[in-house]
Amino acid sequence: MKRWLLPVLALGLLLSLTSAGSAQPKDTLTVALVSHAPTLDPHMHFERVGILVNVNMFDSLLHRNTKLEYEPSLATSWKALNDTTWEFKLRKGVKFHNGDPLTAEDVKFSFDRVLEPGKEKKKSPQYGNIRAVKEVRIVDADTIQVITDKPFPLLLERLVFFAIVPKKHIEKVGDEAFGTTAAVGTGPWKLVEWKRDQAIRLEAFDGHWRGKPPFKNLVFRAVPEVATQIAEMKTGGVDIIRNVSADLIPELKASPMTYVSSTPILRVHYVELDMRQPPFDKKLVRQAANYAIDKQALIQKLMGGLGQQVATVVQPRAFGFDAEVQPFPYDPKKAKELLAQAGFPSGVDITVHSASADFRPQFEAIAQMLTEVGLRTNARMWDPGPAWNKFFQTEGKATHAAYGTWGNYSVFDADAVLHPLFHTEPGGWIGKHYTRVEGLDKLIDEGRSTIDQARRKRTYAQIQKIIRDEAPAIYLFTQYDTLAISKKVEYAARGDEWLWLYDAKPKK
Amino acid sequence: MTAFVVRRLVRLVVVVIGVSLVTFAILHASGDPVALIMPEAPEADRAVLRRTLGLHDPLPVQFARFVGNTLTGNFGTSFFHRTPAFALVVERMPTTLLLTSLSMALAMAIALPVGIYSAVRRGRPVDQVATGTVFLGQSMPVFWTGIMLILLFSVQWRLLPVSGWDSWASIVLPTATLSTFTAPLLLRIVRSSMLDVIRLDYVRTARAKGVSEWLVICRHALKNAALPVVTVTGLQFGLLLGGAVITETVFAIPGVGRLIVGAIRQLDFPVVQAGVFMLAMIVVAVNFLVDLLYGYLNPQIRIR
Repeated sequence: MKRWLLPVLALGLLLSLTSAGSAQPKDTLTVALVSHAPTLDPHMHFERVGILVNVNMFDSLLHRNTKLEYEPSLATSWKALNDTTWEFKLRKGVKFHNGDPLTAEDVKFSFDRVLEPGKEKKKSPQYGNIRAVKEVRIVDADTIQVITDKPFPLLLERLVFFAIVPKKHIEKVGDEAFGTTAAVGTGPWKLVEWKRDQAIRLEAFDGHWRGKPPFKNLVFRAVPEVATQIAEMKTGGVDIIRNVSADLIPELKASPMTYVSSTPILRVHYVELDMRQPPFDKKLVRQAANYAIDKQALIQKLMGGLGQQVATVVQPRAFGFDAEVQPFPYDPKKAKELLAQAGFPSGVDITVHSASADFRPQFEAIAQMLTEVGLRTNARMWDPGPAWNKFFQTEGKATHAAYGTWGNYSVFDADAVLHPLFHTEPGGWIGKHYTRVEGLDKLIDEGRSTIDQARRKRTYAQIQKIIRDEAPAIYLFTQYDTLAISKKVEYAARGDEWLWLYDAKPKK
Repeated sequence: MTAFVVRRLVRLVVVVIGVSLVTFAILHASGDPVALIMPEAPEADRAVLRRTLGLHDPLPVQFARFVGNTLTGNFGTSFFHRTPAFALVVERMPTTLLLTSLSMALAMAIALPVGIYSAVRRGRPVDQVATGTVFLGQSMPVFWTGIMLILLFSVQWRLLPVSGWDSWASIVLPTATLSTFTAPLLLRIVRSSMLDVIRLDYVRTARAKGVSEWLVICRHALKNAALPVVTVTGLQFGLLLGGAVITETVFAIPGVGRLIVGAIRQLDFPVVQAGVFMLAMIVVAVNFLVDLLYGYLNPQIRIR
């Protein structure tokens, strides 16, 4: 009769034998990511979670410091020789993890690997980033020239994450092994092992040119569930978690084990207005929509104060930002007046779409605010898949407006948001469907066709004045990113959402 | 017997075709994976990728290719991982099977003794507690159970790791979570079929012959009570695989379920198709075994 006791006893025994043992050794830094990228090869994916790992293993020609300024990395200096030729001096004495020295050949190889000149199908999803590069020329052992097909002002931005990889090594082991078991770079940490969807383990590289990083071991665990990440954080199983949402911040601040670090990131929120048809074909209605939204209420009430109101879609830290252009104030009375002037004294019915499930409360609040001034809004939520088809394929059908966010691909330049959102050329993105502002295309083209930064700045100032007035979108705010960090670790969130863990130090 | 096996195999093929068709249709109705892979890239770049992935062909062409490939066991290359989808699924299968088998075993280990005991001592305290717990267990979603167990055993008492899949200790909580999902239903079935059986004449006869209570219950009653239990166990296995999807996500376990969830989010068609196909195969196989068990348990049921 006692046989059923056995499994229960066995379970009890198992429980008593196991020790939690989740406390990390002191020289190990563990980061929780929601997932792993498909490969460790820095050229063969386009995943944020992959870039975060890659930057700690690979160096690029340029580095971006915590103030988001360019810093020498594998290139010690650079200059533009003319509109289409850039020259880079390479750092001497740099070694890859396998001991091979860095050469100009490796740099050229890295570019050619992504550009694959002459091939129609490109392997690398990052091809679009540097498609303007026509040729990389080796001048001498320490000098290379990058030649673009037309003036390409974003080149330096693109090179901040453009990993330099070892030619000889890759030719020996092949792409497949390089992306899984044999990833080799020049960065502060080298690969120990990768258990897919479990942990990427890295170890400090003795020969790194900056010197050894403060933490010997670096682990990137894949933990998809936020609640689990937080439980890990509370028990010391991980030291850093990303993308902490506003509602969780108080709990993590109160914990004796953790603190939080927030910073504005390069992601702007807006509602794109369909200018092809009524009512948003009228400028006054578009302006009314901008006056109708209480951005401060959204930021304070729904985002825990972690947001910054913007005048247009160009963000304060992007190149070309013009601080003189002022945001639309919240003025529902004025909104109603403008609406009446535009011929809608008793309001009008509209539909607004969104596929951003994470920002549903903001979307619904906006719908309510629009309704209050007479833009009676039917708010429609979509799953991302079908939404892409409807909003952006063949002809944009997100009539009359769509809530959106744009991350600029972490490029700190006005062009990275203006072109996709408002340019109407067929190769464009959202603007080609919805935006119809006279003369705007020409100005955006002008901004990207010179590397004379002073001239570009003037062009972008002019564009911001025009789009503030024409209001092809409702301008909202920039988003913040929040990290939760173990009190044993000293680190701060970066504006480009990178985890550059060379800067992380153990706290005494 | 041969006819029986053949009929079951035909049914298996029908199920497999059905599952593949439904998966294909739902996936292709759900949008453009390329837009998700490179959401902020210009159309020209996305067109290149669409060609690379074979998504530029008309739907009927894609479907024909899909059927042809499936028949040869080739599910294509994962859009996201850029490796064969089937291999990705197979690589993670052992983890999911271990998790579900252990959970099923644990659920049985709880449900059989407690269910039998409650039936024999009907209305007594053990029975009342067990019946109450069943309701509680059945009304807790797996997701919530998992988080609660983590908070108690890992955060509060520091007994077990929060998540992961690298030691026996890390297997305990997910297994317990998943079995709270199955154990209550099994327990109820065991209890009620035992209750049905122990009232029957042959049980009374056995007792009258002087057979010990232990033998009466385990030898005579249990074998007849086992039929519904076996049926439900087979059906539960499918549900258990569904529960494993959630459990694997909560506990960060690298199994098939989590692979499929990720693939659905990325609209990674080949991986979803291969994963769903494999899970369907397992459910079909388990139920096939259940059918065979019937014959053993009750020779009266002639296999038709």
